[in-house]
Amino acid sequence: MMGKELSIIHPRPSSIVAALYTLRDLNVDVAILHGPPGCSFKHARLLEEDGIRVVTTALDENGFVFGGRQELSSLLEKVNEMFKPRLIGVVGTCASMIIGEELREPVEDANLDVPVIEVEVHAGYPDNTKGVLITLESACEVGVIDREELERQKVLLHEATQVEKRHGAASRQYLEPSRGDVKYKVAERVIRLLQEGRKCITIMNAKKETGYMFADITAAVNEVALALGKEGNVVNMANVDDSLGLPRVRHHAKCIAADLKERGITVHEIIGGMDEYPVTGERVNELIKQKYKDYDFALITGVPHAIPMEALEGMEVISVTNGPRQVLPLKEMGHQHVIVEIDLHPKTLGVNHIVESEFGATLREVAKDMLGK
Amino acid sequence: MLMTTSAKNQKRIAIYGKGGIGKSSTASNVAAACADEGYKVMIIGCDPKSDSSITLLGGKRIPTILDLLRQNIDVREKDIVFEGYGGVKCVEVGGPEPGIGCAGRGIIVAIQKLQKACPSMSDMDLIIYDVPGDIVCGGFVAPIRKGLVTEAYILTSGEYMPLYAANNICKGLAKIDTPLSGIICNSRSVTREEEIVRRFSEEIGSRLVAFIPKEQIVQDCERDGFSVLEKAPRSDIAHVYRNLAKAIMFNDQSILPGSLDDERLRELTR
Repeated sequence: MMGKELSIIHPRPSSIVAALYTLRDLNVDVAILHGPPGCSFKHARLLEEDGIRVVTTALDENGFVFGGRQELSSLLEKVNEMFKPRLIGVVGTCASMIIGEELREPVEDANLDVPVIEVEVHAGYPDNTKGVLITLESACEVGVIDREELERQKVLLHEATQVEKRHGAASRQYLEPSRGDVKYKVAERVIRLLQEGRKCITIMNAKKETGYMFADITAAVNEVALALGKEGNVVNMANVDDSLGLPRVRHHAKCIAADLKERGITVHEIIGGMDEYPVTGERVNELIKQKYKDYDFALITGVPHAIPMEALEGMEVISVTNGPRQVLPLKEMGHQHVIVEIDLHPKTLGVNHIVESEFGATLREVAKDMLGK
Repeated sequence: MLMTTSAKNQKRIAIYGKGGIGKSSTASNVAAACADEGYKVMIIGCDPKSDSSITLLGGKRIPTILDLLRQNIDVREKDIVFEGYGGVKCVEVGGPEPGIGCAGRGIIVAIQKLQKACPSMSDMDLIIYDVPGDIVCGGFVAPIRKGLVTEAYILTSGEYMPLYAANNICKGLAKIDTPLSGIICNSRSVTREEEIVRRFSEEIGSRLVAFIPKEQIVQDCERDGFSVLEKAPRSDIAHVYRNLAKAIMFNDQSILPGSLDDERLRELTR
């Protein structure tokens, strides 16, 4: 008999939002939300900052009763005329899915010369990765990605769900949001460890565009080490393989790797692609066992809870997350210091270069005070 | 002529039952019979087929609330309430195109509009909600949930399927804490039919309030677009409807119904 699924009662991003982000990663030019005008407003706006147009059929009470087929086909025609897109996504919402709207007929009615990815999704799935999966399957049907990439993504999505259930936002029925430890205290600790000649591994295990900010922390640690003359004590790992993933994700990896290189920072170990954050843990584990067993501390950014504690045995662990609900699970895993980069997402959408992080900036400032430089 | 009941004593009933069992025909004949007795009656057809009021209006269809909402018309009472036989006020909720949208949500929206746009509802002695089919979704049960209905009647025949539906409706009513005021048998000329339905009624804790025999005249009147009360007022069946109307208006017994298990239900109908 299957065990009962844990019922999560704190709010989490929905499958609709996950679908929108996936469409963005597939480089759609326009995403149409078929539903009420306010559905997923905050994320829709953020995605517009990231360069895609997000519009809505703005279903009202009449739409809920009579359906919105005509509204959707008219909107498809309108966006085609207004934005001249090369690829369009249509995303269902709770309202349109509950009343049984299907998306194929309005797309056929509009009869555009542009491929349309239809995503029949609502927010009622316990695992929000379901929204990603539905989007990718539809993208595969339209020919935007091939079956091999779809299968690869399925494995990653399964692992992402498991990571969240083991130590992430789905690990407990209710998780209190927290700002984590005070950043300047943690910065002071990092500087002291470097000063003492302790050997440091930075592990950037970032999810897609969040890497633009987490990479800044890698950069800041290296800058401080350089200032202390301890640069040889730092080894950098990052998931910046630009040969893997959906088009936009590969682009992020390329940009971040180039920026780090320009700053003179060597990524000693590439641990995977920017969509591989749920499966990089094993690679990190192997690398540490083979080459970095005697390192004293690890500074992990992005999705730190995907790195198994086995890999970090004997090390002081400092982790930086952008999830305020991630603090408690990380502490429980045994991370001594956990800090949160608040508002990371709005600052990393629509960018092509590394963005200053609060912890990176704090490290640099505290180092100035402590080192008198 | 009977005394008009006060607003406080207003009867607001819903008639449930399996689709096609004769709810609309019964509702319109009861409405006509009550109107004949001098009651102020309103009938609100919630079935998308809009067939509750047609026999009170000489076979004419009226614009439905949802027809007007579809056209974004700001609905007023005169647009949706039409006077039919004996002054019965007729309202039809309507529905979306088959296969599109959501009829359940439509009922919720329409009755909200009706409450706002129709002050004369409070003057009525009897309001009949002719609800579609079984209680199948939150929208269809909205008249009860929104506090518009105080009593429910279930229409069934002695056949297994209508009784199965009736039994399900009992479960639904108990769940939403709505009393059942009685069972009406609309005969399909099944063997031992009255006995079967009477026993069913008793076993769920209710009672059979009327047995309506199957008469061709009901169909004939309907085809012409009239109620039996209007077209054949001296017929035996008209008398049956009058008795049912009286039973409803004077009924003060209602209970939260029980329900039978399937095996017992089958036994009853064998």
